[in-house]
Amino acid sequence: MSWSTTTVWNSLRAKARLVACALAAVYMGPLSVAQQITVPSSVTAGTESTISTSGSGSGTFYLVGPGVARKNQINLGQTVRLSSDDLQFAGQYLAIVCAAECHSSEFIVTAGKPATLAFLVHPSRVPVGQPDSVSGVALLFDRFDNLVLDPTKIGFQVSGLKQILYSREEVTHDGEVWFRTNSGKEAGPVHLTASAGDLTAKRVVQQVASDPCNLRIRAQQTPRGIEIETEPVRDCAGNPVSDGTIVTFTGMDSAGKISIDAPIKDDVARAHMNVPAPVTISAACGVAMGNELRIGQKP
Amino acid sequence: MRFVLIIVIVVATVALIAAGLFQPATASGTVGIAGGGALPGLAPKPDTPEHALNLCLTDLQHRDWRKALSTLTTDSRVSEESLVREWGGSDGGLRSFSSLESFDLWPLHATSDSAQVRTRLHWSTPVGPVEDVRDFHLVRDGEVWRIAWPKPEQTNTAAQVVPVNYLRWDLVTGGTQDAWGSHNLDAPHVRIISMNAIDTPEGAVVIGEVVNEDSIPAFVNVNSTLLDGAGKPIDEESSFDRIAHVLLPKQVSPYRIDFPGIRLSEVKSVHMDVRPTLVPASADPVVGVIDQKMEQDAQGNPVLQGELQNQSGETVNIPHVIASFYDSNGKVIWVSDGYVDRALPPLGSEAFAVQLPRNLGSKVHTFHVVVNHYSLEQS
Amino acid sequence: MMRFCAQLIRLSLISVAIVIFAFLPLSSKADGPAVGVQMDISKAGPRAVENETERRILSDYRLAWTNIAQAMESNTPAPLQALFVGPAKKWLDDSVSSQQKSGLSSKYLNQNHRLQAVFYSPEGDVIELHDTAQYEMQVLDDGKVIHDDNVTHHYVVLMTPGADRWVIRQLVAVPQF
Repeated sequence: MSWSTTTVWNSLRAKARLVACALAAVYMGPLSVAQQITVPSSVTAGTESTISTSGSGSGTFYLVGPGVARKNQINLGQTVRLSSDDLQFAGQYLAIVCAAECHSSEFIVTAGKPATLAFLVHPSRVPVGQPDSVSGVALLFDRFDNLVLDPTKIGFQVSGLKQILYSREEVTHDGEVWFRTNSGKEAGPVHLTASAGDLTAKRVVQQVASDPCNLRIRAQQTPRGIEIETEPVRDCAGNPVSDGTIVTFTGMDSAGKISIDAPIKDDVARAHMNVPAPVTISAACGVAMGNELRIGQKP
Repeated sequence: MRFVLIIVIVVATVALIAAGLFQPATASGTVGIAGGGALPGLAPKPDTPEHALNLCLTDLQHRDWRKALSTLTTDSRVSEESLVREWGGSDGGLRSFSSLESFDLWPLHATSDSAQVRTRLHWSTPVGPVEDVRDFHLVRDGEVWRIAWPKPEQTNTAAQVVPVNYLRWDLVTGGTQDAWGSHNLDAPHVRIISMNAIDTPEGAVVIGEVVNEDSIPAFVNVNSTLLDGAGKPIDEESSFDRIAHVLLPKQVSPYRIDFPGIRLSEVKSVHMDVRPTLVPASADPVVGVIDQKMEQDAQGNPVLQGELQNQSGETVNIPHVIASFYDSNGKVIWVSDGYVDRALPPLGSEAFAVQLPRNLGSKVHTFHVVVNHYSLEQS
Repeated sequence: MMRFCAQLIRLSLISVAIVIFAFLPLSSKADGPAVGVQMDISKAGPRAVENETERRILSDYRLAWTNIAQAMESNTPAPLQALFVGPAKKWLDDSVSSQQKSGLSSKYLNQNHRLQAVFYSPEGDVIELHDTAQYEMQVLDDGKVIHDDNVTHHYVVLMTPGADRWVIRQLVAVPQF
């Protein structure tokens, strides 16, 4: 089928239609190819940035992201300013511009310079001489508490009263780094330090004596009864067992059994048995059994 | 005819009043509600040993000390003050917070002049119902019977200064603004060292021992879950007060968890869970346990008896005894507990007794007693 | 009389059936948005992830994202109280508050999260997960949808154990792992 061009151009109605279509194309054209959004390629948390828009006329700008959901009326074609408050959290942000239609674009905000160092250390108390018993994890955060994912060097040091027990430098991976080491041989506080540049975090781990070793007791008969005390209670490495550790003194006499749970104080545990001799006395602390004494018994 | 109903009501009323006045009082009921002979001159005379003891215990139940004293023999030499101390409690002991709910009595033997009556006393206490069996000796005094009350034993401690030099532990938790990880305090290391599940007529029981392996005090609770063959929980219970909750370093405590109405045949496995937390604590008071021996009580039940000795200068208001019993292989076969209803005065002592099931008495090879305590000053 | 009783019984049964079916859709709607979570613990270290820990983290993480969706859709911070602490809770709370002020809301629909455990501390007090999250995200302005897109986002997640649950301390979107 073919159109007769002479018929088309010559008709007045047809002319009017063509003019109307042309005008529509002129005015609607810019609107249909309107707002484009240009977002920054990368932004550091807590810094200002801008988003540029194209087109003309008025529109609505939306910014949706971690901690922010904002709406502003804008003139298309102008630059939209993003404040440092808008972008303090690291993560994915969505910028939307709506006029007749809505267009959007995403951009990422990354963590800033390290400003705090989180240092998790375990345990808070550890027996001496235990292999791989002390561990620490360090994580870096910027001033807005965003996890810093860029590889960063962190130095670890573990020092006892007299010497450095461990020292090493590690690089963070996926924002974290960790270490593990043995506990020292001497009871007492041990200081752990993690440092990254100017940032330092310190923790203290208390090294305590291990299980008691070679528990020995002595007893003396007095007018008030029998006074019993242990020799200084120490572990196998010679560290005094913590004050407050319970020593159970047990006595057997003709009337029955006697037991007293007495705490160690200044390395020694003491108990008083208000019973007449003869009596057989023993002691136990944790897994350690002491010697046995017979008081007032004829050999 | 219309007067018949009125007459019947009046006659019944008079009969009931007379019965109330002249019948002896019964022992049960709420304390404070009077019963029996209330009107002077109309009270029935205690003409039998049971009647006399009934009257005395009812007066004690109502805390009518003077009236109770009047039922004792003249040579009992018991003052009202000592009766109040003994029966009403003192020094914040458990008896101070308890009341005699009811009692049962039955005669053991009687002659024309003396009699022995056994009483089972049912006490209502803050830690639950407590039963006590006690024998009373009665003598005839003319037409009435009276109770020969034993002279109460009193500990006379000489005045002295007792130094308190045992350790205390305080807990410092740190400020809320501290950085992440800066106030890490590990929970105490506590371990269950034995567990044994047994059947009893009342239900299944899980018993064992737990030790504080750490260098600081721990507050401990032991929970247990019984699981069926499909791994589904049947019941979950806690040790409640059948454990010494505050364990000092290296201290061992028995525990007992009751599952009423459950048979072990329904149980495939037992899941144990011990939950230690950091607490401030003190190593004082030290309570010694002396003269521990297995005996039989008046009813033939095996009991562990002994005496608690307070070696400190502070009063132990409510002592609580928890005993573990072992067979010849060292396995825990039972855990019993009992509260001493009298406070332990400074440097003083009190007797205790804990019962165990009759069928286990012969299997006990050795035992271990732990003393828990509640002091009003520390609570 | 018999016919009347039979009709009455029939009417009652029909009424009950109508009530049941009328409320069924409501009860299923009350369950909230569907959230699928899978976890791979094979690369976790230095500590191996225990079975119970894995089960618990899966459950708590699923619930956490359900709560995020509820909070962002309804603009109330209440769903965020239980499973978020520290910086994650701060930005989520700020997001909700910001949405309330601007009249916006957002929906997280048809979520699917594939978790990879990349770090589990020696004492088990922190775990780091990489979450490849796929969901349909809608942004609404006064109820009108202004953005609707199926997205795939990569999250770095730090979780720490609480008294009876695992909580999210850090939830950061990154361009890639």
